[in-house]
Amino acid sequence: MAVANITINGRKISTQAGITILQAAREAGIDIPTLCDHPALSPVGACRMCIVEVTGQRTLQTACTFPVSEGMQIETDSPQTVKARKLVLDMLFSERNHFCPYCEMSGDCELQSLGYRYGVDHWVFPTYTKSFDLDASHKYYLMENNRCILCGRCYRACDELAANHTLGLRQRGNESMIHADANIPRGESTCISCGTCVQVCPTGALSDKRSAFMGRESQTQKIKSTCSQCSIGCGIEIVMRGGNILRLNGDWEAPVNKGLLCVHGRYEPLYDVRQRISKPLIRTEGMLAETTWEQAIQTLTEKISAANKDETGLLVSSHATNEALYLINTLFREKLQVNNISLLNKAAPEIPGKRKGSLADINNSDVIILIGADPVSDQPVASFIVKRAYDRGARLVVIDEKENGLSPFAFMNLGYDGIDTAIDLASRAEHPVVLYGSEITRNAVEALQRMDNKAVFIALEPGVNTSAAAALKFDNGFSPSSVKCLYVLAGEQDYGSADLLKDIARDAFVVVQAGYMSHLIERADLVLPSAIWSERSGSLTNMEGLVQEVNKAVEPIGEAKTDCEALSLLAEKLGKKIDVSHDEISSYITRLVNERRS
Amino acid sequence: MAKVRIATDWLAGCAGCHMSLLDIDERIVVLSELVEFTSSPITDLKHPPKEGVTVGILEGAICNTHNIEVAKQMRERCDILIAVGDCATFGGVPATRNLVGTDAALKRAYLETESTVNGIIPDSPELGKPLDMVVGVDKVVKVDLFIPGCPPRADAFFYALTELLAGRTPVVLPPELFTYD
Repeated sequence: MAVANITINGRKISTQAGITILQAAREAGIDIPTLCDHPALSPVGACRMCIVEVTGQRTLQTACTFPVSEGMQIETDSPQTVKARKLVLDMLFSERNHFCPYCEMSGDCELQSLGYRYGVDHWVFPTYTKSFDLDASHKYYLMENNRCILCGRCYRACDELAANHTLGLRQRGNESMIHADANIPRGESTCISCGTCVQVCPTGALSDKRSAFMGRESQTQKIKSTCSQCSIGCGIEIVMRGGNILRLNGDWEAPVNKGLLCVHGRYEPLYDVRQRISKPLIRTEGMLAETTWEQAIQTLTEKISAANKDETGLLVSSHATNEALYLINTLFREKLQVNNISLLNKAAPEIPGKRKGSLADINNSDVIILIGADPVSDQPVASFIVKRAYDRGARLVVIDEKENGLSPFAFMNLGYDGIDTAIDLASRAEHPVVLYGSEITRNAVEALQRMDNKAVFIALEPGVNTSAAAALKFDNGFSPSSVKCLYVLAGEQDYGSADLLKDIARDAFVVVQAGYMSHLIERADLVLPSAIWSERSGSLTNMEGLVQEVNKAVEPIGEAKTDCEALSLLAEKLGKKIDVSHDEISSYITRLVNERRS
Repeated sequence: MAKVRIATDWLAGCAGCHMSLLDIDERIVVLSELVEFTSSPITDLKHPPKEGVTVGILEGAICNTHNIEVAKQMRERCDILIAVGDCATFGGVPATRNLVGTDAALKRAYLETESTVNGIIPDSPELGKPLDMVVGVDKVVKVDLFIPGCPPRADAFFYALTELLAGRTPVVLPPELFTYD
């Protein structure tokens, strides 16, 4: 790493040659104002706010794009640069509508903040008279073109982070517009609603429909948590005001997603219209009636005590936290000797003896084999990462008998009979990656054994906390016929019309612990209201085996309790109280998951 | 020492800036020992005195010929002219008219609203003629100090006036008083 000795504002700084002036200045704690720059996006030098004086250069240079070299002398706040920045601001304010008082972003806007910083207290140039369209066609966000400064953060996020290439810039000069696809409304475009563009917009151009005008950043509280919608485990920031959730942001510091989210993680949880269950319900004379937790746990205890261990069964949603899974394992399997326990979704099979990787390995891959999974619908953030790899030239081989969301990007689309072709291609690659899901066939798993040690395997687990559940061996099949007492930990998934309980005997006692009303409730004899993703704390294990914290943002609705609380009450009533700390559970699960992965 | 004379007036504005000036509350008692408010839209005397004042304060944007007359008269009769509020400094809410054009705005307001029956666009010689473009005060007369805000905070008024009384002309307000909304 070559070192460059440079001088910024008279201060001598030793830094890495080739990084930009902006990076060098930030490392040294010297502030250079920016607008179009964003840490997660490549620099383009579009807004000209970061212009600095570089000795020997004929004109002012954009610090975000200009690389440092040995002996360089830089002035970031000379009268000339300040004057030029003010001119840039005057011009930015003169185009389109930048009247702050009725703007959603007022108070959080980066343009406004720079106006304050440089004392823009009146406008030098005539204001714009041309009105641009407001695009409100999208379900989740608004694009107010009149507030746009054409910094290009949105389309760079669309290109570089989500790799979806929906947004772009059309026309030139003062006719320039950010547009979707071939200039069609966003609601009709190829937008996949990841919301990254909304999260990076510095002005009031892009705003979240649900939380617009509901408070400035400084009036909100932010709670970091982990998304509970799939097995990737994206870091989220729950933005709260007055005890209500305003919106969800991707956590830029999160290890797995690094700020990215998808529609399932960012928007759908806040638009859920299913009816919540807020009180325990018990079936008497064929009808479900409200009851107390005490009565519910009492009834459950009696039923479990009455049934022998072979007559008791458990169906467990992978939505359950590590803690809930641990309690089920300890209470039912260890203490009550119940072995008829099953996960409600399949887990990806074990592929022993192979190198297990993380999603980050896709970034360095040259050949990607996708087999038995469709991340576009099930783990969208993984599909973004694959599409980014495709953009930089990695070859994708999709093995699927059905249509796959990533097929359009595939170098080869093969059926399972083509697996040898795929393995052959991967054997000639430097950094092959295999992304596999639960649909993979037994034969394919065997065939993949032939791959050499270069290959990195990444399991795209279906469900949420599937890797922890599978490590606890909850995926070993289920025998419905002998069950007299069934405990269904249903979580908050939408099971659609799938009849999970069709093979259960009519006289069996069925307990459903769930967040939402569903057809499962119709068969339930006892219903326990369960807290949902925003109402629980604990941890989840992602498909990479990473145990991550889930933090509660709001209190559970009505009398709902977390799965853990309900299970603890039951354990206590059964006289089998379980005393264990959160850390003990995390390390236990981590150990099991690592054993399964190795 | 003679009191410093201040006159205020409003153009195309909503009176909010004047309300904010009054929001300096009991400090107005302190201020009135040092200054004399000769005239304002909210006092009996409406026009700045012919013999002139030291400080003139204008609220509101320039949107018709009458506004230009008022602004010019104030400029002629004061030493230091302060434009207060987003309308006077930037054009503000009235300037959103620029995005549709004056004719369309007048039609919409006087003829086409859902509750209008037999509407007419006011056209009397006593009224100022609407301009094609709504602009800030500085586009028609020289302005010495801008206090943006919708409305400017009462503290911003108090700060600016006390600074002027101390013989200093603030070029730009300090950050905590500098706001666009």
